[in-house]
This record gives sequence, structure tokens and C-alpha cells, in this order.
Amino acid sequence: MHLYLYDSFLNDKKYTNLLARIETRLTDLGIGGKIYRLSPLRNLAELLADETRGGAQTVVVVGNDKTFSQVINVAAKYDVTMGLIPVGGENKIAQTLGLGNPFDACNTVAARIIEKVDLGKVNDTYFLTNIIVTGGRPMLECEGHYHLTPQTGDQVSICNLKPLFASNLGQINYFNPQDGYLEILVQPPRLGFWQSFNKSAVTQSIIPIKKLTIKGKNAISIITDGQKVLKPPVAVEVVPKKLKVIVGKGRLF
Amino acid sequence: MTPMFKKEDGADEIETIIGPSVQVEGNFVANGDIVIEGTVSGSIKTEKNLKVGAGAKIFAEISAANAVIAGEIQGNITIKDNLELTPTARLFGDVKTKILVVGSGAVLQGRCSAGEEKKSKLEKLESLDKTKNKEGKEKTTLPFES
Repeated sequence: MHLYLYDSFLNDKKYTNLLARIETRLTDLGIGGKIYRLSPLRNLAELLADETRGGAQTVVVVGNDKTFSQVINVAAKYDVTMGLIPVGGENKIAQTLGLGNPFDACNTVAARIIEKVDLGKVNDTYFLTNIIVTGGRPMLECEGHYHLTPQTGDQVSICNLKPLFASNLGQINYFNPQDGYLEILVQPPRLGFWQSFNKSAVTQSIIPIKKLTIKGKNAISIITDGQKVLKPPVAVEVVPKKLKVIVGKGRLF
Repeated sequence: MTPMFKKEDGADEIETIIGPSVQVEGNFVANGDIVIEGTVSGSIKTEKNLKVGAGAKIFAEISAANAVIAGEIQGNITIKDNLELTPTARLFGDVKTKILVVGSGAVLQGRCSAGEEKKSKLEKLESLDKTKNKEGKEKTTLPFES
């Protein structure tokens, strides 16, 4: 049975027509199901607990990256398959999963190619894309063997999927959500005009890792998937093959 | 940026890059290739290849399969196969490797041991015995031997 979760921003009138067409498409494909609209008043954890008990096996998020990340954090605790129909802006996860426009995504959900992907875990919070460390000079204690200290001003992130700001990484097997690793990505502040000509030089650090602890002063903030803000110290680890996701043929992993 | 060493088909180890802005302290172990442009102190170990950039500073014991050094290293190095010191390399420590290539201008201060290890008499005899035993076994197990 399919369960469809609509983000609250879809209550806007401009999406009414689009949602109606999506629902028609889903019905045509024979994968219609219960629809819930998310809101600050609705408890997502309770909703998913009730619905999985009632036999829901596929949870399809209709919304953007933020919606998907929010639902994943709860859905990871249940044995469900996740799907995504991207609507609105900021849909980079959909690109990574190989989903095109909303109607192609409906076809993808119907085709049901399922892949198991790794999730990251910060304390008790799951994340799919990345966490960003801001506001100071953190110390990353890695695998219990060594620690890593970036310079002040460096952008530090721990990634599962390829982040938007990462470019020219050369090797394609970084940021594969099925390799059982997270990647620490340390990027120095943007290069000056003249320095930017020397593109061949290695400037960023990429370190594959399974487990680390982020320590530092209280001014440091750790933001998970652009949502939850945590304070150090936090424990980060990869949870291999934790989530079942419906993907398209054009997926980037 | 291109990978420094050619990948074998099916190799799934990921290259680790330590950039110039990062300091690493402790026992650094990686499954895949390592590229170092920053500062490392402690020890570095990989079963694959190591590249030390010209701006890198390393105060560590190093162990790798192959290495290309262009930066500064203070510590002992054990390389299984090839070690190449480029003209900008500054190496202060003992070196143990199979094949050593030193570029003109490279600094190397320390004991250096390159080439196959010399076997003791006992080891030679043991290896000879093993080969004889193998040959003997092969002869007895030939299926169509008349």
C-alpha cells in the first residue's frame, strides 16, 4: 500500500492544478493511496507508526529536499520503501536519485526500482545528504585513531550524497551512498582572482570515513540536512544500507 | 584533478586527499590511495599508493605500496615496491624500498636500503626444499602419467 505525504507548502493555490494532475497520473498507474498533508500540528512519527502498523509499505514524499530529509529521519526507523515526487524548488536529491519532473517521478514510483542506500547518523538523527559544520574551528576525531583540524574559515561538511558546492572532484566514486562510507569534505574559503587560475592545485580535502566525533567550542553549529542544529560534541557514523529508496534509471550512483 | 594512479578494474577503494589547509595527527590508515598536501604527524599506512605534494609536511612513519614524494618528510619510510623522490623532495629518515628513483636536487638524509632483501643461507635452503617438494608432488599427481 502506498502512502503519500504532501509538504505544507503545497497548500498554496499555485500547486493545486499540478497536484491534481499528479494524482490522476498515480491513479492511472494503479498506485494510488492514502494522502496526508504535513503540517506543524501533525506528528509525523505517530502518523508513520500508525500507517506502517496498518500495512503501508511505501511512503512517497511529494515535496522538495527539505520534505524528503524530514521524513527520512523518521521513516528510517521503520521497514518502509521511500519514494519521492519532486515538486517546488531545491530538488537536488531527486536529481541524484534519477527522478526527472513530477510526472516522470510518478512513472519511476510505479516502475519500483529499489536500491538500499547508506544513511548518516548524528547522535540520534539520520541524514541522507550531508551535515555542515559552521561557526568556528572544529576538531574531528576520526575512527578513534587520528584527529583532523581544518583551518579557521574552511567549510567543513560530512557528506553521504554529493553536495551542491563540490566541484572538480575528479574521481567519480566519491559520495556514493552505497559504499559504506561518509566523506569528510574540507574546502578552503573561495580563491582570489589570481589564485583561481591555478585550478590544478589540490585545495580541498576528502577523507572517506565510517565513524567520527566532532568536537569544538560551543560557537560551532552542526546542521543536519539543512534542518536540525546540534552543538558539539556529536558522534557521526554511517549506517550502511539503512534505507530502501525507489530510484530512476538516471541515478547518479 | 585526475586520479594519480591508474585504477584496476573493480577497484572500489576511495582516494583520500588531505588538502593544504588540514592538519592530521595520529595513526592515519587508509584502504585506498592517499594524496597529502597538508601536514600530518604520527603514522601513515596504506596498502596502496601515496603521493606527497610539494607543499606537504609530514612528521610520521610511513608505510605504503608505492610512493611519489615531492614534499618534506621527517620519519622512516617503508615502501613495498617503487619510491620516487622528485627534485623538490626533502626526506629526513631511513628508507626501505624495492626500487628507488631519486630526482636531481632531492634531499635524502638517512639510511637507505633499496632492492631485494638478501636471504640468509637458512632461508635459501628452505625455499629450495619447498620448490623440490612441489616438483615432487606435481610429478606424483600427474593424471596421465604412464
